[in-house]
Amino acid sequence: MISAAIIVLREVLEGVLLICMLMASSAAMGHRLRWLPVGLLLGVAGAYSYAVFLDPISMLFDGLGQEIISAVMLLSAALALIVYVHLIASHALQPASGQSSRAVLALCLLASALSISREGGEVYLYVYAFGVQAGQMASIMSGAVIGTGIGLSFGTFFYYGLRALSRQACLWTCAGIATMTGAGLVMQATYNLEQADLLPGQQPLWDTSALVMESSLTGEMLQAAFGYEATPTGVQLSLYLASVLACLAAMALARLQATKRQETST
Amino acid sequence: MTRSDRGRRSAGTPWLAALVLVLAGAAGPVALAQTPEVEIQIREHLFFPAEVRIPANTKVKLIIRNLDTTPEEFESYELNREKVIVGNSQGIVFIGPLAPGEYPFFGEFNLRTAQGKVIVE
Repeated sequence: MISAAIIVLREVLEGVLLICMLMASSAAMGHRLRWLPVGLLLGVAGAYSYAVFLDPISMLFDGLGQEIISAVMLLSAALALIVYVHLIASHALQPASGQSSRAVLALCLLASALSISREGGEVYLYVYAFGVQAGQMASIMSGAVIGTGIGLSFGTFFYYGLRALSRQACLWTCAGIATMTGAGLVMQATYNLEQADLLPGQQPLWDTSALVMESSLTGEMLQAAFGYEATPTGVQLSLYLASVLACLAAMALARLQATKRQETST
Repeated sequence: MTRSDRGRRSAGTPWLAALVLVLAGAAGPVALAQTPEVEIQIREHLFFPAEVRIPANTKVKLIIRNLDTTPEEFESYELNREKVIVGNSQGIVFIGPLAPGEYPFFGEFNLRTAQGKVIVE
């Protein structure tokens, strides 16, 4: 039961961080959370499909289907976050308008659905295999419920913490979280592509395991927060930095547009 | 949603898929020609062999054959690899080039029993 709780908690935590950020930022931009149940539903459907079709998916692309589909989902989510960061910055640089933006809602939907599909797929597979097939349903389900509960508690704390900030502070904090989460997603995509031999495997540039081990609790939290990696390679580092720079550029673009708007109105 | 917003959101993905396919085409023949292969079997939630020896600074193709009926997730923090292999099926994972040392791996769905390591020398 404990191992089930830990396995489920790990997956849930990664999704919870992202979704709470999306909830807090979309609320700070004046939107209601109506996208959330739809995103959850799409995510659950995606997770179910991924788990059920995993065998044929893995066989696609010469046995590399899992990695390629995973990488495409991760990079799509990262791209969505880059655009989202731009929208957050645009909203932060002007007074609250109370207007609903379909772009914000669509991106929240997309990013949350992609995240839940990925994390949920693994959880579903595990629970099905060891609950239903191996007949340990009670132990696995209780572990899964505990793990999910802990993850959701953390999420609640996190969401209300963000909402307690002023509008500006909340938006810029969420922009920062979105930047780091997006970079973490790009990092995961590079592992998938390296694993499939679509990106070159390389010697890592350094090893910070002595400071924080990836398998420690701190390491797992940092991994969920921004994709902490103890032994990054050159390719991973470059793509990670490129992702961060893209988000910074998105914010700079918003600043540029805000300045232009001010100039034309005065 | 304005046309430009929709364009920004979906414009990336087809290009990404094309890029991946081009890289796959380029990397495929080169990789298959020279890469040593090692087979690891999963039986009764255990890895056989539990210790895999590979040469240093070489890319290696691991073929993981899951002979159990339940899925297993081959995972390693040190190798940065993670792959779910459904029951009665196999998966391919590329690792390396690696510096000499020991790199543990485990089956995430059966942590207590499925443990192994890659020894690079």
